Amino acid sequence: MSSTEQGTSSAAPAEPTTAPESAAAPEVPESFYYVHGKDKVVHKVSAGALQHSALIHGMISNLGYTEEQAKANPFPFENIDGDILQMVVDWCNQHKGKPTPPEDTNLPKQKEKLFDLVLAVNYLEIKELLTYCCKQVAMMVKGKSPEEIREIWMIPTDAEDEAAEKEAKKRAGKEAAGETAAAAGDAK
Amino acid sequence: MPIRLLSLPAPDLQYALNCMDICDLIAFSLCSKQTKNLVKSSNRKIQLIFADIDEKCIRINIWAKNQKQKDESIFFNFYDSWLEIDRHRRKITFWTKQEFTRSDWIAHFMNIFKVSMIQRLVIGNVRLSYLDTVKQIIPKCQTLLIREHCSNNVARMTFLKLSPIVVDTVEVETNIFDKENDLSKFLTLNLRSAIFHDWLNPFELKLEDLLTLNIVNLIFGATIITESELNRFLKLWLKKNHGFYRPKDIKLFFERKLNREEVLRGIKHEIAGYEARLKRRDGKELEVYIAANCICFKFL
Repeated sequence: MSSTEQGTSSAAPAEPTTAPESAAAPEVPESFYYVHGKDKVVHKVSAGALQHSALIHGMISNLGYTEEQAKANPFPFENIDGDILQMVVDWCNQHKGKPTPPEDTNLPKQKEKLFDLVLAVNYLEIKELLTYCCKQVAMMVKGKSPEEIREIWMIPTDAEDEAAEKEAKKRAGKEAAGETAAAAGDAK
Repeated sequence: MPIRLLSLPAPDLQYALNCMDICDLIAFSLCSKQTKNLVKSSNRKIQLIFADIDEKCIRINIWAKNQKQKDESIFFNFYDSWLEIDRHRRKITFWTKQEFTRSDWIAHFMNIFKVSMIQRLVIGNVRLSYLDTVKQIIPKCQTLLIREHCSNNVARMTFLKLSPIVVDTVEVETNIFDKENDLSKFLTLNLRSAIFHDWLNPFELKLEDLLTLNIVNLIFGATIITESELNRFLKLWLKKNHGFYRPKDIKLFFERKLNREEVLRGIKHEIAGYEARLKRRDGKELEVYIAANCICFKFL
């Protein structure tokens, strides 16, 4: 579990506490990076743990930050809720430098957070965690009837889909008409 | 707490679908047109082993890989507006869909799994009028089995109406031929294989029936035909130089013991193992195997 500290600004985070070390201490001092979500809470995460995220790993490689620069410029993920980012950071720390098992028992059990977690993990490009999350999503409807699945996964009926499609067409038509009128106005 | 599954990014959604058991995936496909299309695009593979059709319901058996990548056999019984799922006869589940008829269920299954052919189509006792529906919902099958409890009329009409959708074999468990019916109407159909078996009511074959055959592989059991007619058949085949004869394999089973000498009387042949080998002047050959209660013709 990584330690976190409430930050007032993403540009000047307070000193976060250190994340737990992996069982085998590395010979070379490990570098750390900082991330925060919508709640601005800064998480200190080792480069090893962040390797799970293709997105962050790519950012680190491209930026070539020193430890001080990294501390001063935490990666902002404003589209991810703080508690979701915490889950992701926890998972990355737990699986740092370890091969991921076929079944992950450490996956968060909160189903209500699963959807947001999938979106976050997809955004951060953490392939293994995404795999587990998708499996968890599939398990939600195991043995359920079509009606139950519709309820659990909030699947619109055909009538609702048609109505939404009509509405979208109507909106697109209005927008197109607006643009035409604006273009005509400009021409005048 | 529900989640908005369809708002997930497409690859994640597809992966979640790939993680689902086949029954859950089918249930999901029944939620809406959109979910049906999603399942279709997931390209999940199943084998549709058989469809058993009778008046009460359509029963199908599928084989699919479960989450542990092991093959699982599942039975579905389709009724109008509901279906029954039977997994290993352990757990019976019911789903309903008000607007679905039996035909709609099967069409839905074939559509979502992109199955164009059922391996074995089994016809029980159905109304004659229902055969056209069967033809509409099952465009193709590998084998058609007409069950013994079909009425003769239904069995005959099934044979005539559904043979064109059969890719390989038509199997009939009842003697559909009676004196009023012209046997050649059935035997001259362009079929790859046909099996007729009814041991309670043997099939009466005549020399003309064998001569006009148009089925490549044919099995009859039990058969009534005399040795002298079989002998004449062989003699006529030998005489018919350069004539086209479509059958490749004919097996006739009898309730009685066949007299091998009478069948081969006056016919020049070579003995090759258990077979008698006949050779025509045009080079065509025929192997005849005669056992106690069966005769096999193999046209080489």
